[in-house]
Amino acid sequence: MITADVYKKAAEGDFDAIEKICLDTWEPLYRFIYYKVQNREEAEDITQETYVKTLKYFHKDKFPQENFLGFLKTVSLNVIRDRWRQKQRRGVSVNLQEINPQEVASDDKQSDIAQRLVLKNALAKLSEEQRIIIDLRIIRGYSVAETAKLVGKTESAVRTAQYRALKTLAQILDDSTERQIGQKRRENIEQ
Amino acid sequence: MSNKNIEEKLSDYIDALNNEHEPEFAVTDSDEELEKLQETVRLVRTLKEPVLPDDDYPKRLAKTVASKIQRGKETGLGKPTKTLSKSIKRILLPMTALAASLLIVVLVNWLGLFNQDVVYAMEKAVAQLSSYHGVLEMRTKNAAGEEWLVRRAEIWSESDKYAIKHDDGTLTVNNGQRKWQVNHENKEVVLLPILPDPTGSSFDLRDEAKRAKQYPHTVIGTELVAGREAIKLAISPPGGEEYYLWVDTETNLPIQLETAMQKALQTTYTFVSFEPNTKIPPEIFAYQVPEGYAVVEKDPGQQVATIEEAAAISGFMPLLPEQAPLRIIAFKDRIVLDYGDTTVMEIIPKGEFKPAPNASLGSAAGGPLEIWYERLRWRQEGLEIQVEGDKRIELAREIAAGLALPDANQDLASKAKVKVPVNMEIVEASQKQVDSGSSPWQLDPLQVSLTFVNLKVTPEGIQGEPQIPMSSFKLVTNNSVEAVVEVEDGPVERVYLKRLVRQDETGIWTVVGYDPR
Repeated sequence: MITADVYKKAAEGDFDAIEKICLDTWEPLYRFIYYKVQNREEAEDITQETYVKTLKYFHKDKFPQENFLGFLKTVSLNVIRDRWRQKQRRGVSVNLQEINPQEVASDDKQSDIAQRLVLKNALAKLSEEQRIIIDLRIIRGYSVAETAKLVGKTESAVRTAQYRALKTLAQILDDSTERQIGQKRRENIEQ
Repeated sequence: MSNKNIEEKLSDYIDALNNEHEPEFAVTDSDEELEKLQETVRLVRTLKEPVLPDDDYPKRLAKTVASKIQRGKETGLGKPTKTLSKSIKRILLPMTALAASLLIVVLVNWLGLFNQDVVYAMEKAVAQLSSYHGVLEMRTKNAAGEEWLVRRAEIWSESDKYAIKHDDGTLTVNNGQRKWQVNHENKEVVLLPILPDPTGSSFDLRDEAKRAKQYPHTVIGTELVAGREAIKLAISPPGGEEYYLWVDTETNLPIQLETAMQKALQTTYTFVSFEPNTKIPPEIFAYQVPEGYAVVEKDPGQQVATIEEAAAISGFMPLLPEQAPLRIIAFKDRIVLDYGDTTVMEIIPKGEFKPAPNASLGSAAGGPLEIWYERLRWRQEGLEIQVEGDKRIELAREIAAGLALPDANQDLASKAKVKVPVNMEIVEASQKQVDSGSSPWQLDPLQVSLTFVNLKVTPEGIQGEPQIPMSSFKLVTNNSVEAVVEVEDGPVERVYLKRLVRQDETGIWTVVGYDPR
């Protein structure tokens, strides 16, 4: 349990308080971020940036004790959005004043489950060869060279096949009425 | 942008994510297609488990955050600062890359390139295996070299569907939607729960290919298996016994598995006939009740899309791990979350929580945690939770954050006021006896304590009901190596036991000390 006193001390830079907050909450926050960015390097950076931004924002007696993790997740979404926009050379800074600590991504679990089902259904609609290539390259993480060896194709044929497979998959997901879930998730990040 | 460029960019993006690096992508307005495909890649990757940071990351994180907050206080609140880890990464990343390439070199030499070819070919064949039909024989051999046929089953398998016909004609089918068993002797069709599914074949081709790739292995040679030429591989799981896998040279698929000798028994699974990628008639997986057969429903459960639907069927809201399950199956009295190799089952418990006699004990949610083979079980917030499978500890910790496993290095026996001398020859002989199936009571620390204490009361032997009954004995600690049992009445207050031969659920308990009353 993190008390108001711990938040206050953390905001003042007290190491023990910051350590307690980080150790108690880092994993669900990191998993949430990883889910969005899908790589460890970026997830580690964003997790760190989220804590720094959140703790710097805390003023005296203004701590979201009710749902601190929810607040962190919302800040992290802003950080992700900000970073991605910077990459698009359209820098927009995060406005923490706009965050409502009560309005958090608490329905993640349900939409994650539904999204998995939608994805699995979409993958099942690909041709067998496309499914194998997506599985080897993205799920199992093989390189193009290894995948080429496994499926008996040239590297350039693997790149073309994965491009076509992903294009088809994106189309299937677009056509799916349940695509709304994926759409909602994308809007969360891109709006 | 030409397709060739976008193909390469997309491939680089996949590689960056596969290497757990932040992708270098400067998306411009004209790259809408690429952006959409990158999003699709990220979506597909959500089917995988996230890669967690190193163990020291949380501490490192707290340190960096604290130093930034402290620096922020010095320079004024709210000013954006540059991420510290970038500069560290400039040094760390090349080092990590060097370490990774060294690891690859070591692994390639260790596994041997030739072995890799066999295993690669097998993995490729298994990945391309869309269906199969075969006859699998399971034979068991005991330590004396006697061998017998345990069972023979005809298997049809296609993606997540399977049908197994046993020797006695019983047919078990799981078509992904429902699971049932046709019993010709009783003329009945029994509807079974889809999950947990203990029926599946013990010799799963995909699992075997995965394990062979994961563990160190060596090629032993070529042998004939059921009339087919096969390469024999010796596979050594870390900390486990070596076992053998035979890979058909023609199809590159595993066709025989021989387990290590366990509990004086060794099992061999052989596909005596095997047709890969064959067309399986759809009627095999079709649910049909033969005429004159009764349908017996054993609460088969139903697959639902959301937790709310599951709660509506079972009448309670389950506690959820952070990770989303692959499937949710709801029953009238329980909810099962399927994570592939691991299942989480939650029920509203009845009566007292009684751990299995030979289970070790930890703690979870302020109460006892039962650790029994690959299963964890505890009670939390009015529910009983059972997590079984490879990822049990990870998933259980996501539900019960403070979950603590027993510490096997406690040296409890040294606390005993009276030490009991042990004759290891007798203990080893007793363990062998139990391994062969006799005197299983020695696996239960309560039973061993009951015998020990009652023999103290009546040294001539226990006649009829023991004087100090079982209800007086209470297991207070079991860390899988040592156990302590408290006794309410009689001359002994506390009994200290140890698993002297084997420290798992198959190891017998021996009294090594006690505290007199």
